Amino acid sequence: MQVYTVARITGYLRDILESDALLADIWISGEISNMSESSAGHLYFTLKDKTSQMRCVLFNRKKLKIDIENGLAVVAHGSISIYEVSGAVQLYVDMIQPTGLGVLNMEFERLKAKLEEEGLFEPSRKRPLPAFPEKIGIVTSPGGAVLHDITNIISRRYPVVELVLAPTTVQGESAVPGIINALNALNDRGDIDLIIIARGGGSIEDLWAFNDEKVARAIYSSKTPVISGVGHDTDFTIADFVADKRAPTPSAAAELAVPHRGEIETRLQSYIATMTASLSNSIERNCQHVDELYATVSNQVNNGISVNTEKLRGQQIKLDSLSPLATLERGYALVQSHANGEVISNISQVERGNMITVQVSDGQFNSRVTGAKKGLQAWMKDFPSNKH
Amino acid sequence: MDEGLSFEQALKRLETITEALQKGGMNLEEMLALFEEGAALAKTCHERLNKAELKLSEVQTMFEKDEESEESA
Repeated sequence: MQVYTVARITGYLRDILESDALLADIWISGEISNMSESSAGHLYFTLKDKTSQMRCVLFNRKKLKIDIENGLAVVAHGSISIYEVSGAVQLYVDMIQPTGLGVLNMEFERLKAKLEEEGLFEPSRKRPLPAFPEKIGIVTSPGGAVLHDITNIISRRYPVVELVLAPTTVQGESAVPGIINALNALNDRGDIDLIIIARGGGSIEDLWAFNDEKVARAIYSSKTPVISGVGHDTDFTIADFVADKRAPTPSAAAELAVPHRGEIETRLQSYIATMTASLSNSIERNCQHVDELYATVSNQVNNGISVNTEKLRGQQIKLDSLSPLATLERGYALVQSHANGEVISNISQVERGNMITVQVSDGQFNSRVTGAKKGLQAWMKDFPSNKH
Repeated sequence: MDEGLSFEQALKRLETITEALQKGGMNLEEMLALFEEGAALAKTCHERLNKAELKLSEVQTMFEKDEESEESA
């Protein structure tokens, strides 16, 4: 027969208690009594019901979100172990909630407070979403209306992207490992710009996988920015808090993910309008300059004023550089109808077989039209914004 | 347009061209060349937006089809 010391046995009990999964993460309801506070801010009390009681200790009073007093009915969360100095089995409390809340609500509040304290919801770590994503990963159920809605919305708004579905169950026991696996599969590809994690509406139990700590940590560690769109707009999940962007619904997530085609078209139209106006202005300014020079020269000649020959010469050089002749020198040509001398400026003026005269810098030659087609300029004129 | 340009790059280039034309300070030939490039970019962006069809692919996960039966949307 072996004789043990007290310390061996309390140590043995401690090992057993602390290796038990249920006792390591447990909610216990009861009434508070014998409450006392140490100078260090530790709170000691007993949780009791009609037949039993249990010692409890809460090491940091500041963590407590509610005021407690003797006689108050509460639900406490923590882990159970033995305090070897006194031999007492006690609950090491990390959270207290008033009774009356559902257990899922309590778990939600507990995890939310914990992750918030750890910094998982920090606004400073939310990453900006890409303005023009090329590949968007979707973590959702492959058969549901959610995927259908997201596909429709993105196809309508901005069909330039590729959607990459990472299928998973989104409720039930396999949802948590499934969602984590799907997130990892998308991150492992390395070519995804944005991830949408989505699920349609349901009860708090249905949405529970999105309140799981492991799912929250997987979203937090995703290399790719994540938009969450879970349930209806009144549902807030832990996944929403940790995601880079929360969308109230799966459809809203799709809208946040891509720009709108109409906005881009408006931008294109404004670019075209600005480019066209800039070019026209520049051409007009050149023409005006030529006119002014002609006016100066002819005034000087007509009025018989004695002109500074050198100055005039300078202006002539300037004039030459802007005259049509100089343009011809640069390789442009003037095209006229052979029949009536009309200047050809658009393709509707010619037909296959017509004779034309082409003026170049030092002469002209005749040519026959063998074909004509509309160019980019014609397309520009037809662009919606340019129609007047 | 260079097919190697992403939609975002094409739009960015178009913006740069528009700003350069607006600023001016170059000769007519340079302006015309930029204008032609800009017009071609605008045309391609417009066509891409209107002709593109959404691509949908799938990445392999641990999901199995028979899991789906218990799902509600």
